[in-house]
Amino acid sequence: MPYQWRFDVVWQALPFMLQGLGMTVLLTVAAMVLSLALGLLVSLARLSKSSLVTLPARAYTEFFRGTPFLVQLLWVYYSLPILTGLRFSAFLSGLIALAINLGAFVAEIFRAGITSIERGQREAAIALGMTWWQMMRRVILPQAIRRVIPPLGSIWVSLFKDTSLVSVIGVSELMYQAKAVSIDTYRPMEVYTVLAVIYFVMTYPQARFVDRLFERHRVRA
Amino acid sequence: MADVMVEVRDLHKQFGALHVLKGVSLQVERGEVVVIIGPSGSGKSTLLRCLNRLEEPTSGTIFIRGEEITDPRAKLPRIRRHIGMVFQLFNLFPHMTVLENVMEGPRTVLGMPRAEAEARALELLRKVGLEDKARNKPATLSGGQQQRVAIARALAMSPDVMLFDEVTSALDPELVGEVLAVMRNLAEEGMTMLVVTHEMGFAQRVADRVVFLDQGVIAEQGSPEQIFTRAQQERTRQFLNQLHWDADDETGAPLGSGERR
Repeated sequence: MPYQWRFDVVWQALPFMLQGLGMTVLLTVAAMVLSLALGLLVSLARLSKSSLVTLPARAYTEFFRGTPFLVQLLWVYYSLPILTGLRFSAFLSGLIALAINLGAFVAEIFRAGITSIERGQREAAIALGMTWWQMMRRVILPQAIRRVIPPLGSIWVSLFKDTSLVSVIGVSELMYQAKAVSIDTYRPMEVYTVLAVIYFVMTYPQARFVDRLFERHRVRA
Repeated sequence: MADVMVEVRDLHKQFGALHVLKGVSLQVERGEVVVIIGPSGSGKSTLLRCLNRLEEPTSGTIFIRGEEITDPRAKLPRIRRHIGMVFQLFNLFPHMTVLENVMEGPRTVLGMPRAEAEARALELLRKVGLEDKARNKPATLSGGQQQRVAIARALAMSPDVMLFDEVTSALDPELVGEVLAVMRNLAEEGMTMLVVTHEMGFAQRVADRVVFLDQGVIAEQGSPEQIFTRAQQERTRQFLNQLHWDADDETGAPLGSGERR
């Protein structure tokens, strides 16, 4: 017997599902802000002359880019409290895990952006008598920022979708709400189809915008 | 009264196994214009870049205004304020306007107030003939214009000595003259200058002393007249002859032995 699609059931549950959307957006924005700060610091650490500073920074970026986010998430939620005695809420655990994971990718993006600024710029700044920090602040970072915006845009769009993973520790964002509806209505097919559409509707305009960012940067170069 | 602006003692520079500078010693007095010539790979640029420690000397000592810049405890940013450098590829800051480029040193490094820095920058741009380009971005300027801005940017710091690293080598021939003219004015105003260049005409007309660097050592040095017409070392003569040959081919204007352009 062919499957009977029943979207009406899901339609009724739509407001409930969309309650999770606010949480998704909150997680995305908060994680992005935190990871930008963390990533910038780590990238500068990686560019330091002292191996005391570069080695931990390098270990961090290699590790958190090289292990699955889900594993990191579960570790933050379950293992960290045991090790440190600190217990975070599911939301905070999710946010921390997202920020730390993303921070590693952001750090690599910043590092690539900064080192792509050609040597001559560095030399001109130094020759004027700038300190390292003055050089970074006035010459290197302003130029690097322009270059990193397109890849950071991609990270943003990915992040928006990856927030769905924190549903596994019970954060009531979009995915979690959808799961609840699916269990309640016994209609996983319809529910997850609608869920996919919601994610797509949210991310597609942003993805197109990021595409334009990449184009604009290429044309100028 | 001799005022030694730059003193180099037995400078060695190695890049790994490559020994580029093999014991260079040099003194430059205030107001002197020293032009450094020599074949590619002789270490001319390396020598210049060691003076403000853009390159780290392997051994030897360098004094700028009597202060040892090679001292490990030296406060490099502070010493570098007194040394202006102009690069072959200009290295203007592309995200700033021409005016902002020239203002950058005084404002950020010297902490000069905006209005004062702006006034000084405009004055310098006027001096190099580019005040009307003040609000432009560097990318809209020709190479020769960009290089003149780069000179203004370095001058904004009121340096005691200016280093010129092959500043016309990357320019189209018709733009070279405007840059050399600015440099000549600077020399006539009494700036202490060390110039690495292939522009022999400039060396002849403007230099107080010409230093011939070959294979990492100073093979010969003297007044332009001494070097260009009465070089004592065979290798110097060989180098100059080779240049004359090229000069004949490209510009049709022969240099050397008594002839002036």
